Amino acid sequence: MSRKPCRLAALGHVSALGRVRGEVWERLVAGDSSRLTLDSERVPERSIWVGEVRESLPEIPAALARFACRNNQLALAALEPIAAEVTAAVARFGPARVGVVLGTSTSGVGDAEAAVAHREKTGVLAREFHYDQLEFGGLARFVAEAIGARGPAYTLSTACSSGARALASARSLVAMGVCDAVVSGAADSLCGLTTNGFAALGAISAGVTNPWSVNRDGLTLGEASALFLVTGEPGGIQLLGVGDSSEAHHMSAPDPEGRGAETAMRGALEDAGLAPEQIAYLNLHGTGTPQNDAMESAAVERVLGTELPCSSTKPLVGHTLGAAGAIEAAFCWLVLAERAGGALSVPPHVWDGARDPALAMIHLAAKGERATYSSAAYVMTNSFGFGGNNCTLILGASDSP
Amino acid sequence: MKAALLRWSAWAPGIESLAAWEAWAKAPAALPAAGQPDAKFLPAMLRRRCTPLTRTMLTAAFGAAEPAELARLRTVFASRHGSINESIGLLENVVRREKLSPATFSHTVHNAQAGLFSIAAGNRAASSSLAGQEDSWTAAWLEALCFLERDPREPVLVVIGDVPLAETFAPLVTEAAVPYSFAAQVGAAGTGPGVELELGLLDSPRPAPPWPPALEFLRWWLSADESLEQTNRANLVRWRKC
Repeated sequence: MSRKPCRLAALGHVSALGRVRGEVWERLVAGDSSRLTLDSERVPERSIWVGEVRESLPEIPAALARFACRNNQLALAALEPIAAEVTAAVARFGPARVGVVLGTSTSGVGDAEAAVAHREKTGVLAREFHYDQLEFGGLARFVAEAIGARGPAYTLSTACSSGARALASARSLVAMGVCDAVVSGAADSLCGLTTNGFAALGAISAGVTNPWSVNRDGLTLGEASALFLVTGEPGGIQLLGVGDSSEAHHMSAPDPEGRGAETAMRGALEDAGLAPEQIAYLNLHGTGTPQNDAMESAAVERVLGTELPCSSTKPLVGHTLGAAGAIEAAFCWLVLAERAGGALSVPPHVWDGARDPALAMIHLAAKGERATYSSAAYVMTNSFGFGGNNCTLILGASDSP
Repeated sequence: MKAALLRWSAWAPGIESLAAWEAWAKAPAALPAAGQPDAKFLPAMLRRRCTPLTRTMLTAAFGAAEPAELARLRTVFASRHGSINESIGLLENVVRREKLSPATFSHTVHNAQAGLFSIAAGNRAASSSLAGQEDSWTAAWLEALCFLERDPREPVLVVIGDVPLAETFAPLVTEAAVPYSFAAQVGAAGTGPGVELELGLLDSPRPAPPWPPALEFLRWWLSADESLEQTNRANLVRWRKC
């Protein structure tokens, strides 16, 4: 393979499934959707299911108070478990050689609601409100300052593909030699803007999202952060393939034939130098909207066939928008890290089982399902963003040293 | 990191042609604080849905490439503030518990300009949208280098732009608040006039010129100067012609 190694050397994450790796893994393979909650506060005159993080989050350090917002607290929660590895990387390579590339679709806009409410009442913004907590670029700068990194630090925001795209850019920054290590992933937080925005679009499901079902009627929103330490070392879990495309179709609906999705998946396979049959598991974008599932099933059937175990993990954590590509890559990372005896435990597809006969008959993974592989395991994750931005990643791990 | 700067285009109120930019670069002065392009190249239906930022950024984008390239090249869209002005209106709706306009919401995502460009140009290639605070231009350049690392055969169309922040948040930010856009095709080293980017550590803050960093880069590019130093919160950014 011509590409340089790209190791996803350490992973921290937080989502509705929790913060502790062992607990998250158990809930993930059990298909535990009980972590979603019914929220009656965020959208006027209706209750919606959300994947809210219920654990308490770390406080923003006083020296970084200008970055204080829930979105950055989620990032800090994801950073905590990998703090030792990240600190070691900054010490080993030097601050200038460590970059930060992160995705978000919300940044601190949830906390800006409070500032705008304060302004409505008093005519002025709350004194503690700082633009660093709101602007998109603030997320990467916050993490860079929190870890003492002084390499490139910027934030990608391509809606639902942001987190996947951040990992793609981290890999290139390391491959080019601009950085020796990059902290990459995403953070996205539940807020009034996105819950009311998607409600206005008619995209939020009445019950919990129900992808691939004939009864599906939209998505369930969530929040999450997943941060990886990305290095150029071989071994461990590698980011092997990236494929991406634009839709040139519509701001809030994908091309019904799934051409953009197909281009992204084929591009990732080509980039990784893999054949379709070498993929052992696919984490679907699987939002549960009628349009996504129709076009994605058609594209998956064309590229990967109908036998590959697939699942959407959005019924477990919600659609975490800008963080979806990162948290779903994190779930793929856990699937690879927990491989045993030539088999992967794959997250089940949790739904009502009432298959939509109009959709291509791709294989939706059942509870307890295991996917076999020989010597090296490869998994794929799809992220198809609002605005027509698609990104597919392939992760892999080898059993031979 | 070396790359090539191929064709470019820029827009600010009253400075729209290459000749006008060359004249500005010879005698740079503060730029007008208001104005937006007519963006007549866009179909009327699409143009009506464009925010001032979208019109501004797409004007530079469409000026920097031929139609066939517009439909084919990978793109990087960079903006410090993106659609925050439109988001403020939506936040006020949220706070007042009013219904949001779905069309407005669709056009406030940070990749709205990239999405509308893709539709207007019929472009299905890979695209990224980013923000890097005061230094979004260097971030955009790095992101283009990332695309070139993956495939150096075709240049990347980099588009940066902003419009002044609305008064809700404007007092929180110190910057040259002017509407502008700049687009450039960035190719692999050796495919055109060379630019080398080097990131160093910033020792102490330096004064910034009274126009956006991307236009300072353009001013330098049009000047006889060999190199340019810019800063962000952590880095000394050194550009060199090569």
